[in-house]
Amino acid sequence: MATVQEREILLEKIGLGAQNKAALGRVLNTGNIGQATERAGGLMQATIRIRPDEICWDPSILVLPHGGDLELELINDDLNTHCALLPSNGDRKFIWLVNHSRGRATLNLDGPGYYWFSSPTGNDEGRGLTGTIVVLGDVPPEARLDRPDQPRP
Amino acid sequence: MTDVDYVDAGEAIDQSRLSGKIAGGEVAPPVVQNLTYERILEARSEPENWLTYYGAYDGQRYSPLDQINTENVKRIGPAWVFQAGTSGIIAGASTYSFEAAPIVVDGIMFLSGWDGWVWALDAKTGTEIWRYKHAIPFDVSLCCGNVNRGVAVAKGKVFFVTANAHVIALDATTGKRVWDRTNGDVRAGESATVAPLVVKNLVIVGSAGGEFGVRGHLDAFDVDSGEHQWRCYTVPKPGEPGSQTWPADGEAWARGGANCWLTGTFDPETNLLYVGTGNPAPDFDGAVREGDNLHTDSIIAVDVDAGQIRWHYQCTPHDVWDYDSIAECILFEKDGRKLLGHFDKNGYFFVLDRTNGERVSITPFVDRITWGAITRDGQVTPKVYPDEEGVPVHFYPGPAGAKEWTHAAYSPKTELFYVPVQDVGATATRRRREFKESIPYWGAGVQVDIEEAVGYVSAFDANGEEKWRWRNELPMCASVLATGGDLVFAGEPSGEFNAFDARTGELLWQFQCGSGHHSSPTTYSVDGRQYIAVPVGWGGWAEGFLPGMLGAGHGSALIVFALPGSDS
Repeated sequence: MATVQEREILLEKIGLGAQNKAALGRVLNTGNIGQATERAGGLMQATIRIRPDEICWDPSILVLPHGGDLELELINDDLNTHCALLPSNGDRKFIWLVNHSRGRATLNLDGPGYYWFSSPTGNDEGRGLTGTIVVLGDVPPEARLDRPDQPRP
Repeated sequence: MTDVDYVDAGEAIDQSRLSGKIAGGEVAPPVVQNLTYERILEARSEPENWLTYYGAYDGQRYSPLDQINTENVKRIGPAWVFQAGTSGIIAGASTYSFEAAPIVVDGIMFLSGWDGWVWALDAKTGTEIWRYKHAIPFDVSLCCGNVNRGVAVAKGKVFFVTANAHVIALDATTGKRVWDRTNGDVRAGESATVAPLVVKNLVIVGSAGGEFGVRGHLDAFDVDSGEHQWRCYTVPKPGEPGSQTWPADGEAWARGGANCWLTGTFDPETNLLYVGTGNPAPDFDGAVREGDNLHTDSIIAVDVDAGQIRWHYQCTPHDVWDYDSIAECILFEKDGRKLLGHFDKNGYFFVLDRTNGERVSITPFVDRITWGAITRDGQVTPKVYPDEEGVPVHFYPGPAGAKEWTHAAYSPKTELFYVPVQDVGATATRRRREFKESIPYWGAGVQVDIEEAVGYVSAFDANGEEKWRWRNELPMCASVLATGGDLVFAGEPSGEFNAFDARTGELLWQFQCGSGHHSSPTTYSVDGRQYIAVPVGWGGWAEGFLPGMLGAGHGSALIVFALPGSDS
């Protein structure tokens, strides 16, 4: 069993973190973790990129401190065309990201919980371009159960 | 390379803009604008519409429409199909199910799917007018699949709940969000699947999460503003009426369950909502919650203005078989009495006086009942139950019940109830576990029988006498619809959609829909043509009600049937 410290070494050694090495694509959830920043007033901001030939969102796990609105910058540095399908209340947001392009998305998400996003073209989703937006926090106080605090995992 | 080199990809757009809509076609006519409480009260006087979850407040799932009848039903066929499809990754990707009851108002259909979808469709053509998609967390706690049972409509709005326990109002013409309230704590394992009920100026919803040790509740929100009006907890706190049915020490009550995860019925004369409550938690380990555990597995009558329980009737005291009493309470009159009929998961058909909860009759409606017995005077005697750690116990009906959540119907024309029956057993082995928020809190390992699982559609009179039975090789796991054409419609797990003669049970028509049925068909008419609408999409808690069909394909289609145009 690998330790956390060994994870990156093992991913590299086995070839799980790149296209057409151990598997055909890049195994999901082998990318980076990043956190959104927050402006006064609660609006959150983040940038997600696709780096050349890495077939992975960077970060592939984006962490939001709470639910609400997120201004997202999307940059495709890759030499191939991708796109993004993103979760948002009301409708999912879609954007084409041709080679070396930069776009924007405004998302509204509830918290807590996590959501997926992807590049729904070809088999980008299976080859590595599926990522996660994690929303931290708790539901509003008025939505909690009227009972004594209960144990959590 | 500098920023100047980047191609400007612009701003991400709503995915629905890439769905072939014609400009201007994404706005529905304001058919819901004048849909008031008074109109919903008289819903059956508008047979062309299906205005509320059960078709009317009485829960009968009966339409007077009779263009399609016993003589011509053999000629109906698909008029149109709406393929909702699925894309990307969703919560419960392997267990989602299409469970809704389509609502229709003056030619416009309002329909919910799984994973936060709501659509407005042209009810004559199936053309999508608008769609709303709520973002549902991939990791939300769901006992039984990513499902939703439908929407409510009134005063220009469409109301629905989301799997992450929000109650949302949409503009019925555009599908845009008007208000959004959080009604549950997803960190505690709460969720929501119920179709809301609009009564007066209230949107009424129940909570889900009974398998996670939550405390069930029913809530009301103002139709216009979304302001919270009242909350009715279904498990009393210490000192409240019914609290003596829980252990005096400890916090079993706080994790007690009793969720109202199905839509209630309503009688304007009694001013009472009739709501079924769910199982106690942990489902199968009764030793940690000695007592009757009110108001779990109960029919509760709730004053709609005050949000307070006026009377209750508990169908399975101290349940250790997962016998939620969430099933609909069908309101009807007999011999001048105001009654309600309720087919419970425990296998018994309860008829109560709905003015006071007095028992009128109790009759078994499934062949195999081994968990215990209930006498006609209401005495409950448990016989087999998982009370010893690690010892398997087999019982009938299994935890999905002799009838699951899917609904019975009642025809005032034939004065018969029509009930989809699941005659399936299960084995539970008690395994105690420590309670922790958001982790399943069953207290047992459970395996539902694959062999000897059968079903039927049965017709009962109000005395509990079975008048006919149509037998099936598989349990019947979809809601039944009764019509003025003396027809009863019921879908099968294997995909067939059936029409029966309401008076004899003769199978008159059948269509293979390509996926199993686990929804609530409705009927309506547009321009004088009657339609039968059935969402088709197998899934949900199939391991509970029919594990022998766990490998069946998932569908996601709404299929709408009608007579050929020249016949109607």
